[in-house]
Amino acid sequence: MARKLDPTDLAPASGEVQVRGLDELMDSADFREMMKNEFPEDAAEWLDPVTRRQFVTLMGASLALAGVVGCNPSFRPAPARKVVPYVTKPDAITPGVPLFFATTWTLNGYSSGVLVKSLEGRPLKVEGNPSHPGSLGGTDLYTQGSILNLYDPDRSKTVMHDGTPSTWDAFKAGLFKLMSKLKDTGGTGLRILSETVTSPTLVGLLDEVKKIYPKANWVQYDPVGRDGARVGVKLAFNKPIQPVYKFDEAKRVLALDSDFVTSGPGAVRYARDLASKRKVRVYEGAVDGVGPKEMSRLYSVESMVTGTGAMADHRLPLKPSEIESFARKLAAELGIGNGPKPGPLPKLAEDWVGPLAKDLKDAGGAAVVVPGDHLSASVHALCHAINEKLGAFGKTVTFVESIEVNPGDRQADLKALVGEMKAGKVEALIVLGGNPAYTAPADLAFGDELKKVKATIHLGAQYDETAILCQWHVNEAHYLEAWGDGRAFDGTASLQQPLIAPVDDGKCALEVLAVLLEKALIGPLELVKANWKKHFDTVVKKGSFDLWWDACLEKGVVDGTAAKPATPGTVSLDWVKDAPVLSAGKGLEVVFRLDPTVHDGRFANNGWLQELPKPLTALTWDNAVILSPKTAASDGVKVGWPDFKWTGGEHGRAEVDVVELILGDRKVLAPVWILPGHADDVITVHLGFGREKIGQVGAGVGFNAGAIRTSDAPFVATGATVKKTRDKHFLACVQGQYAMEGRRPSRHGTVEDVEKGLPAYKEDWKAFDFADDPIVSMAEKGLLRRLLPGSPQELNRLGLMTPEESELRHEKHGEHKHDDRLIELTLLSDGPHPQFKTYRRWGMAIDLGACIGCTACVAACVAENNIPVVGKYEVTRGRAMHWIRVDRYFVMPAEDGGTKKIDRSPRQKAALDSASVTTFFQPLPCQQCEKAPCEIVCPVGATVHSTDGLNDMVYNRCVGTRYCSNNCPYKVRRFNFLQYADYATESMKLVNNPEVTVRTRGVMEKCTYCVQRIRSAEVEAEREFDIREKDARDGRPRIKDGEVITACQAACPTGAIVFGDINDPASVVRKWKLEPTNYGLLAELNTMPRTTYLAAVKNPNPAMPKGA
Amino acid sequence: MAMLVEDPPEKTGIYTDAEKNIGGRHDLVSIGEKIGHICLGVNPTPKAWYFWAMLGFTGTAGLGIAVGYLFYLGVGIWGINQPVAWGFAIVNFVWWIGIGHAGTLISAILLLVHQKWRTSLNRFAEAMTIFAVMCAGLFPLIHMGRVWLFYWLFPFPNNMGVWPQFRSPLAWDVFAVSTYFTVSLVFWYLGLVPDFAALRDMAKSRVQQWVYGFFALGWRGSAIHWRRYEKLYLLLAGLGTPLVFSVHTIVSFDFAVAIVPLWHATIFPPFFVAGAVFAGFAMVIWLAIPLRISFGLKDLITIKHLENCAKVMLGTGLLVSFGYFLEVWMAWYGRSEIEWGTTLQRMFGPYAWTYWTLILTNTIIPQLLWFKYFRTNVTWLFLISLSVHIGMWFERYVIIVTLSRDQNPSSWGRYTPTFWDLLTFAGTLGFFTFLFALFARFIPVISITEMRELLPVSAGGRDGHSVMENAK
Repeated sequence: MARKLDPTDLAPASGEVQVRGLDELMDSADFREMMKNEFPEDAAEWLDPVTRRQFVTLMGASLALAGVVGCNPSFRPAPARKVVPYVTKPDAITPGVPLFFATTWTLNGYSSGVLVKSLEGRPLKVEGNPSHPGSLGGTDLYTQGSILNLYDPDRSKTVMHDGTPSTWDAFKAGLFKLMSKLKDTGGTGLRILSETVTSPTLVGLLDEVKKIYPKANWVQYDPVGRDGARVGVKLAFNKPIQPVYKFDEAKRVLALDSDFVTSGPGAVRYARDLASKRKVRVYEGAVDGVGPKEMSRLYSVESMVTGTGAMADHRLPLKPSEIESFARKLAAELGIGNGPKPGPLPKLAEDWVGPLAKDLKDAGGAAVVVPGDHLSASVHALCHAINEKLGAFGKTVTFVESIEVNPGDRQADLKALVGEMKAGKVEALIVLGGNPAYTAPADLAFGDELKKVKATIHLGAQYDETAILCQWHVNEAHYLEAWGDGRAFDGTASLQQPLIAPVDDGKCALEVLAVLLEKALIGPLELVKANWKKHFDTVVKKGSFDLWWDACLEKGVVDGTAAKPATPGTVSLDWVKDAPVLSAGKGLEVVFRLDPTVHDGRFANNGWLQELPKPLTALTWDNAVILSPKTAASDGVKVGWPDFKWTGGEHGRAEVDVVELILGDRKVLAPVWILPGHADDVITVHLGFGREKIGQVGAGVGFNAGAIRTSDAPFVATGATVKKTRDKHFLACVQGQYAMEGRRPSRHGTVEDVEKGLPAYKEDWKAFDFADDPIVSMAEKGLLRRLLPGSPQELNRLGLMTPEESELRHEKHGEHKHDDRLIELTLLSDGPHPQFKTYRRWGMAIDLGACIGCTACVAACVAENNIPVVGKYEVTRGRAMHWIRVDRYFVMPAEDGGTKKIDRSPRQKAALDSASVTTFFQPLPCQQCEKAPCEIVCPVGATVHSTDGLNDMVYNRCVGTRYCSNNCPYKVRRFNFLQYADYATESMKLVNNPEVTVRTRGVMEKCTYCVQRIRSAEVEAEREFDIREKDARDGRPRIKDGEVITACQAACPTGAIVFGDINDPASVVRKWKLEPTNYGLLAELNTMPRTTYLAAVKNPNPAMPKGA
Repeated sequence: MAMLVEDPPEKTGIYTDAEKNIGGRHDLVSIGEKIGHICLGVNPTPKAWYFWAMLGFTGTAGLGIAVGYLFYLGVGIWGINQPVAWGFAIVNFVWWIGIGHAGTLISAILLLVHQKWRTSLNRFAEAMTIFAVMCAGLFPLIHMGRVWLFYWLFPFPNNMGVWPQFRSPLAWDVFAVSTYFTVSLVFWYLGLVPDFAALRDMAKSRVQQWVYGFFALGWRGSAIHWRRYEKLYLLLAGLGTPLVFSVHTIVSFDFAVAIVPLWHATIFPPFFVAGAVFAGFAMVIWLAIPLRISFGLKDLITIKHLENCAKVMLGTGLLVSFGYFLEVWMAWYGRSEIEWGTTLQRMFGPYAWTYWTLILTNTIIPQLLWFKYFRTNVTWLFLISLSVHIGMWFERYVIIVTLSRDQNPSSWGRYTPTFWDLLTFAGTLGFFTFLFALFARFIPVISITEMRELLPVSAGGRDGHSVMENAK
């Protein structure tokens, strides 16, 4: 078949050409050129005078093309997008039935396996690949958002040359010209700048480049990288190895300013491993989690509040400068006598060290200390020494040979490169991805130096700050459009296969390097295949390569490619003599971090991620100077708590002070956000905002914290001052109310509570009263939990208990008849359709102990359910549309775990003590009440109950009275106040999930437990009627537990969400609901929610100075 | 033009009837002329009329713009959000429907209980009801997200076999409000038929004769006409009486049936009905005062009428205040953390000022009406009625913003109206004013027939309501 027709090929660079008629068009140079490209073998024939046969064919083609030549080349003309039904249907494709392809998503150089759902050739949704060690089925929020980048209307769509649209061919010609010059000098002055690369194929090509151009140099750089970790390993072991942690083996974990569950390589996997030891299960039939005695204990010492810190049993906020001292002190306490001398520490930290060291030591090797990626090399080296001392090597920490190529100080490499650029030594610079002009430290003035380089080439998905400064810009293919590969945190390689032909003919790094290697005729697939053929020939050796290749593609993971285990040897402490004694610096310390949703700015034009509430701050569409309540109140700063003014208020619009953040001679204006639990005298700022050259979504969003970030202090800077200005700024914060107000929606207890309640819980439901609602009268305590769908008493009453379960949970005493009085009020129970209760009952349980507040579930829900982006203004008006939200609450000691209500000002005073603040999360989707308050108030019956108990939303029937939203005590309903769904942008139509209605203005919407997935599973089951096991209850084919997985559940890295049929005795959700920690939010309203929560269980160390 | 008595009766002390319902010296002819000449244009139209009519017309135009923009962009132009999904629209709906209550109460209930003083008020009070219900009815309609599908709230046969969801108070609202409007309109029009006939007969101009004649429906005043008229009038009065209670009871169910803290209360129906009568009588006073001044109707709407209205206001105001007390009491006595917490939020939270405005204007200021001086002073009555209007509006506002802080603290929010909310509200005020101005100029603002009946037998009247007299 002929190559795909590409109008950009024949479009003249200058833009519009008026075509007066068909004849003129056929005669034009453009047309002749196009025909030559289109049908090279027949080119001569086309240039002949038109024959009859050709004329007929030409008529069709040229009519379609007539508009093309005249079009702006940056737009794909409509005729080229014509949808033609299959003449011959490909075997695998059934219209309407999605296919899943395994591929690979890479961020910061580390890959994660994903399964991408494709419908009729359109990639729609990214799920984790359960076979991939870096995912195990979970994803982070970037992965979820990545699909939108594919359809981003502001993506770079064409090759650009000096700011004007050009073509790939022209680029190749230009590069060839450059190469001929470079070849003579052996590549003197050729520099390739990329982000961290682990892709075996790409590394192979770069090696080849090095062979042809021996004097060329390849520099890797990450905006906020892990130089400390790399150099730390070198200090400690003096060999290129990398640690891999095993949190599922660890009984005691100390996260040293490390948010290893949400950032860094392997975060998704680490989160799952960690959570597996923190889901406390009591019920004998439990299928996951651990008993209270086996629960791990997590300590966190950190500056910013992170998901890890919020999950921790003990959390100590410390300044970055003190964290190193803390590590040294801990090392000394553990008996590393020849370690570096610690600097002064606050009293509380001093008190922490002793019991902490003892607890770590007592774990007998099942303890691990995890330093944050951005900490200094010496802390990393010291942590290796501590882990060695704890006996963790080989147990909770293993080492593998370096997965990265040339691990070293990337920051220094970049600095050296800029130095060369300054000195005019760089002849040609090829930037393979990334946006260094924006992300490089400000003092390097990368952009200015870039202009001085003679030949510059940029490959990127956006025409960004770097692209505009480069002579050539090549539009990069999205990862779903290109072939490639990558390695996971443990070195396991996975293949990246495209699901769609490049929408705008984007090119991947492999293709650019292929041109440089004069391999342009070899496509990226062949390059990747060739590389793996080598692997096959040397490692696998048996069988057919093609079969092996297909199997790898299907699985998405290349088996047996995990990095080779390395023996670390003993940790050297030679570097100690160079390590200075530390003391906390003067002024405020500034911590630079990647933004939790837009990363280093690469997602700044991604509406889903911009609107995603950031974990802990709940801010959207902005970054802020984040500081602790005490720092905010301190003399130099004196900023107030956010003023929740006017529309939106607490649920949307927060008016905050604007401050001038001064660091040396650099300053930036930024809004402030006060975050309880944040370390004092420290400011956290997130990078990735204030982009100058960006599409319409990210334009004018946030401030550029990178403007004050310098190369000598890329992660932490000291001596900052903050000056309050008179300006105010509105931040869009979706949850300003951070206190539980004594209502304790998010409940928690301790291992001690669990053990105390354990002997009695079968008879006495009050035994687990920490899972009870504190504000309900004593008589109703425990009773409310019995009413919940799926509770043992409820199942018993409906006759749904299996004999084994009754055995496990026999109610011997305490069955008082009058206690069932509320049950009698249940309209559905013994009504005209009792079978409703015995049919499938979909339900969900969320383990609050496992939630790290990462909001991947929210991102997944947005992607699955076509949830519109409303923009900052609408968010400030309280109109964010997310169907699931992650509520987070800060609890002060006076509030007694959220049970007591205290007033705003005492609470704010209590929050001044950051070390005592605890954080709790609560993901809140629709609770699918069996007695839904929303249903009875809808005048048109637009929200109704299905027979399997879903609280369905019939969008077509909704007239928009919003009464249901008022009456929903959980406030999980979302209304299309305006036309939020984008009907106008062509490319955005493609990202919509065709299985979910795109809602119009004036319609209420909400979570439906991904009803489309349930229904397609039912269809599937009915289709396989003959071969499936039948359900004893109704004779219908059984849907196995786990066959229906909601989007939030699938994405959750920690597996905190479980969904299934409560009536299925084998279902995990049923097992979870049988736990005595199971409770229903606002169950006292007798809504009988199908979504229930398992109260978080914490495992505090009684020896610690403070229970924080 | 025949103005028999120039001085108002309160100065001269001359009353036509023993109960002092008609001031001055009036007979059948003078009553007819006094009222009819306004409609027929025999009396020059007062300047104030032009002012109010123009103001009303401007407001109506504003309403048109506000509603047009609303239809163009959607309800998002208003300040509503999550969690406060109802805003001004519902506040105004309840406020207007409350005002609409006095009309039917005066014309139906006071008729059945033989209150002769109602006769001077019932016609324009009924007109007020109809116009207020029109304004009220507009709001639930336009507040719908997809207004073009409003008819789905009616049980109409359709090929899908879908009906409204009858458990929803909003579905009840549709029936309650539309029934109330229909009955009120028919009741009002029925009363107008003999008056139209009288105007037809008085009119000199061909156009007036034709128009009033058309609306008089061929009324000839024959005995059989009167007999049927009176029967029907009595029936409609009987039908209207329960409606007075049902409408606002059902409107209150919008809140009482919900499980929002402080909405979910059995106090709502009586509390709302009392509030409606309270607001309605305040509006009657507001309309009566300019009418009697501009159109020289002081003989027919005397200070006694205003004082009676004031007394009703005082009584219902106390009922309403009792309701405020009960809300707080029940929340405290119920020992529900959420109910009591919401009460504290209402009293001391971000919207505390609206709550205390409500208490000041609805509970404290109306206490002045205990004193005869304030009940009989037109200026004071006007100001106190203003206070009640403000108070009753804020009562609904306070109820609506309760949504901002309900059970689950994570979704707490705020609400504030936008320009479009305000314009829509101002627009309905203008629409009401405009309709009422047209009514006052072209339709007898007081029933000629019934006022004639009210004359003493000696003056040719029946000294009461023939409807009730004949029904005995």
